[in-house]
Amino acid sequence: MNDAKSIHERKHIWRDEILLIVGLLFFVGVVYAVDNSLQPVFTPTTLLLTGVFLALVPAAIWLVFFYLQDQAEPEPKGFVLGVFGLGGLLAAAVGIPMVDNLFRASHWLRNDTMTTIIGGILVVGFTQEFLKYAAVRYSIYNSDEFDEPTDGVIYATAAGLGYATVLNIQFVVANGGVDLGTGIIRIAVVALAQAAFSGITGYFLGRAKFESEQIWWMPLGITLAATFNGVFNWLQGIVTRPTLSLSGATSNTWMGLALAAVVALGTTGMILALVRRNLKSIQAGK
Amino acid sequence: MANKQTSLGDRFAEMTVVALTVIALIAGWFYKSSIENASLAFNAEGISAQAPKGWLQVEPTGNEILHTVDIKSTGFGATYVIQKIPTTQEASSSEVASLLSLSHAQNLLAFRILDQREVTVYGRDAYEISYVFIESNPDLTHDQLPSVVRGTDYIFMNSEHAIVATFQSDEKNYDLDMGRFLTFLKSLSF
Repeated sequence: MNDAKSIHERKHIWRDEILLIVGLLFFVGVVYAVDNSLQPVFTPTTLLLTGVFLALVPAAIWLVFFYLQDQAEPEPKGFVLGVFGLGGLLAAAVGIPMVDNLFRASHWLRNDTMTTIIGGILVVGFTQEFLKYAAVRYSIYNSDEFDEPTDGVIYATAAGLGYATVLNIQFVVANGGVDLGTGIIRIAVVALAQAAFSGITGYFLGRAKFESEQIWWMPLGITLAATFNGVFNWLQGIVTRPTLSLSGATSNTWMGLALAAVVALGTTGMILALVRRNLKSIQAGK
Repeated sequence: MANKQTSLGDRFAEMTVVALTVIALIAGWFYKSSIENASLAFNAEGISAQAPKGWLQVEPTGNEILHTVDIKSTGFGATYVIQKIPTTQEASSSEVASLLSLSHAQNLLAFRILDQREVTVYGRDAYEISYVFIESNPDLTHDQLPSVVRGTDYIFMNSEHAIVATFQSDEKNYDLDMGRFLTFLKSLSF
């Protein structure tokens, strides 16, 4: 590699990812506790506004942690926010209309296990992962600010959180607001999952730019992210399925949050290991 | 670390990723179509058709011989009904259409006829009535506003019977659901 400056690992990226997971779990717990203890009463407008505010929280948590720790060689704030916004715009303008209106995924996707997995990967997975990839590939990727392999993870996570934020706002608005307890869990699950899948794409993007990867490299990254996306949605449907008993139905939304946290932690750990191995091999080859 | 954009993977990533995504979405579209167009053979009283698979079969009433509803639809579920109405040899399709319209007006809320005309459906002469009404099924479990429903009846005269194929769907989904109904109509034989 033609390196003009030292290669280093931005250790805080992993801390940011883990802090996002822990911070979100904490926030969900706080909102849930407040909802159960105070049982606030909302008007339709305040319910909607509260839901929209909650939808913005996951991205805010990540951005705050990111900027607090990104001191050594800071990424331009405007660029990270711009990619976050671009991810959201692509979700609103292309992703959601495509999945909901063109493919009408809700109409046929939950037919059976096979359909949920295959349809989830081909339609939802590829649409979402391609758009998050595009938010990075056609904006910051060719800029001089994208100057390290780990920048791929940073910007792809920003795009993923932008996408998740719009998915959550759309969910809140379509339902005229959400119940605080179950609503915040859903919001956290979507944010954690989208950030995790974006991290995979980001790792592949970073290596695609700075190393001599084969032609199949980036398609492999998108396919992996789309597969994780589709399989996660199937698993989430299973673990959150209500338990029916003679005393009524029990909601299992907490199981969905636990699954999302495990997937996010696992994905972060996997990417961390891959990046470290990659950096070691680069340094060994210098 | 200088920007390096000379690798094969990087140069062709743009094209390969776009191509892969397009292929995946096309495959997804075909997969979706295969799921939505999956059908079950239906045969009763000399009438056969390929009815949609996985839809709710409602107990037919009156002259109905098939009544099937897509419970996964949003809003008013897409509904296919086949009726076999006894007529005289001299009865015309427009007379049957008048009777049907009267029946709809009595049973459906805010019923309005949008259009009616003679048409040819897959080589068979038919009379088409297009109409609209407000969802009037008194289902107390629906926690949403009543839907505006669009419907179309195709009336086929067959010696001493009129075969009526009805399609009703939420106004928002009507155009998208019509393609599936036309496949069903094509399979209809009597």
